[in-house]
Amino acid sequence: MSRKTMASTSRRGRGPALAATPAVLWFLLFMFAPLVVLFVVSVGVRGPGGGYQPGFTLANYGELQTRLVPILNTIEFSLLGTVVTLLLAYPLAYYLAMKAGRKKVVLLALIIVPFWTSMLIRTYAWTFLLGSKGIPEVLSAMGLADDVRLLNTPFAIVLGIVYNYLPLMLLPIYVSLERLDPALRAASKDLGAGRLATFRQVTLPLSAPGVLSGCLLVFIPVMGEYLIPVLLGGGRSYFLGNALADLFLQSRNWPLGAALAGSFILLMSFVVVGYSWLTRRLTGPLPTEGVL
Amino acid sequence: MPSPNAISRRHLLGLLGYGSLLAGTGVAASACAPPVKETNGGSAAASGGSGSTLTLATWPNYDDPAVLQRFTEETGIRVNVQVFGSTEEMEALLRAGNSGIDVAVPSQYAIPGWIKGDLLQPLDYDKIGVDLSSWNKAVVDQEFDPGNRFTIPKHWGTTGMIFSGDAGGEPSSWAEFFKLAPELDRRAVIVDHQISSIGSAAVSLGLDFNVRDEKGLGEVERFLKSIKPKLFAISSDIQPGLRNGDTWLSIAWTGDGVQVVRDNPGFKYVIGKDGGEIWSDNWSVPKDAPHPDAAWAFLKFIHEPKNAADNINFSLYPHADPAVTELVDSNVRDNPVIYPAEETIAPLSFATAETYNSPLRAETWARIKSS
Repeated sequence: MSRKTMASTSRRGRGPALAATPAVLWFLLFMFAPLVVLFVVSVGVRGPGGGYQPGFTLANYGELQTRLVPILNTIEFSLLGTVVTLLLAYPLAYYLAMKAGRKKVVLLALIIVPFWTSMLIRTYAWTFLLGSKGIPEVLSAMGLADDVRLLNTPFAIVLGIVYNYLPLMLLPIYVSLERLDPALRAASKDLGAGRLATFRQVTLPLSAPGVLSGCLLVFIPVMGEYLIPVLLGGGRSYFLGNALADLFLQSRNWPLGAALAGSFILLMSFVVVGYSWLTRRLTGPLPTEGVL
Repeated sequence: MPSPNAISRRHLLGLLGYGSLLAGTGVAASACAPPVKETNGGSAAASGGSGSTLTLATWPNYDDPAVLQRFTEETGIRVNVQVFGSTEEMEALLRAGNSGIDVAVPSQYAIPGWIKGDLLQPLDYDKIGVDLSSWNKAVVDQEFDPGNRFTIPKHWGTTGMIFSGDAGGEPSSWAEFFKLAPELDRRAVIVDHQISSIGSAAVSLGLDFNVRDEKGLGEVERFLKSIKPKLFAISSDIQPGLRNGDTWLSIAWTGDGVQVVRDNPGFKYVIGKDGGEIWSDNWSVPKDAPHPDAAWAFLKFIHEPKNAADNINFSLYPHADPAVTELVDSNVRDNPVIYPAEETIAPLSFATAETYNSPLRAETWARIKSS
């Protein structure tokens, strides 16, 4: 074998493999290895003083049904929170992209700047707004309603989700609407479509990728939410994140916690796979493709 | 050392608006965060064999900085204070070894485990010069450390009930508390702590405060789950709700009780006549304390009545030495929330190590909260 061929072999054969090594190592070390550890802990047993003791049992997975309420709470509130956030964010993004004109920059800044403050402080502040001496007192002073309870209700949790995650929904939708060529909507109008038909048949489908990314950006972190159910829900509507924190920090049952966390990761994987399937379906053959 | 003008990664993220995200995750992880450290001033000059620093593991607002400063001035030993959020955290650090802690203040229920785990050394009473024989019998020579070989009570307190006039009743027992709580419809709070909340509910059902058997805990679990929808919150952050008028009735620890009643005389703090919790935090010296001589010197200093009294005036928690009580400010001494009468605390129980470590009790509490 000549020198030249050897060199070319290594360049074509081992070169790319070598180049991929850091990425592979990264995945093995920071994704695969922790998942293995999580699985090993989840089939172990709780130590006498808490923590983990080696063992092999599937009992922890059987125990998961005792955490059914937090699992259902998490899914329910995440779906509801995402839908409400979307319903509020879409018109706002539409206004910013289409109608705001030069005010756009200021309005965007007004939305984003509050989020430079810690989420804990912003959420804690809501406990005073929603408490008896806050909005309920204003309502009662105005003679509108008496004895309104807002704090530590499901409403407060949804409000907390919408308030904290609105920008994550707003920005992707805004970007997709902003990129929309005004000529498309003009063409739709020329071809006789009304405003509603144009929105339904042109604007909405073209902003679907933004809507989907926004929904995922909101849904996934809300599924892992811990703070909002504690501060605005009074610990009465538990999320998975709260159940997990209890298992690791209070009852120190690591194996059950690992089983719950592992199942949660599995559940989220389904969501992400479903999302990418949906994205491909919705953004694949777009009606614009023939035109552009 | 980076140059002072360099922008750190955290700073950059902050500028980009990710600061809030970092802060958000920080909150969730704060239970694992390292304890807050602070060192008081004073010369670092070595002073003979007692070592030049002393590391004190304690709780928030629990030690008068002026008293610690006086100790440094008198002995030349600097005090390095580490403030902890939970006994579990303190224990994890000690069990890992080489914690550097010279004096720790564990709650009583952790002590048997620490003694058994060989984490503490017997106290050198010759060097400390303290005589416990006249101290309040309610807190010395208890089951968790017979004869106080390893620990001396620092402060103690109770878990009682606090309520405002809005509650429309004046419960005097846990039975009355837990009857009134669901009737108020989302105006009552129980603390997020299995020892206090399961224990008080158990007492209300006629069970032992330290109940650990499956049948008894099952009864408590069913009861607390049944009233949970009628509670305002399960939270240890009870003060804002009480002060804002959202909460009319709550389980409360002495410290919260003192502060709320002081600021709002319309509130009352009552100890259950059918039982409930008494607790104590206790001075101890870890076996691997790097400066044991500094620790003995500190324990001697802190038990001089004047110093101990200053600490009480600062922290508003009582002490068990009658000689100290005489020196405490009269408004503190005469406050029945801080210094309850002897017959009031007679029916109370200390949480035991078994209660603290019971997997079933911990799981019961987690299930109640997850319901």
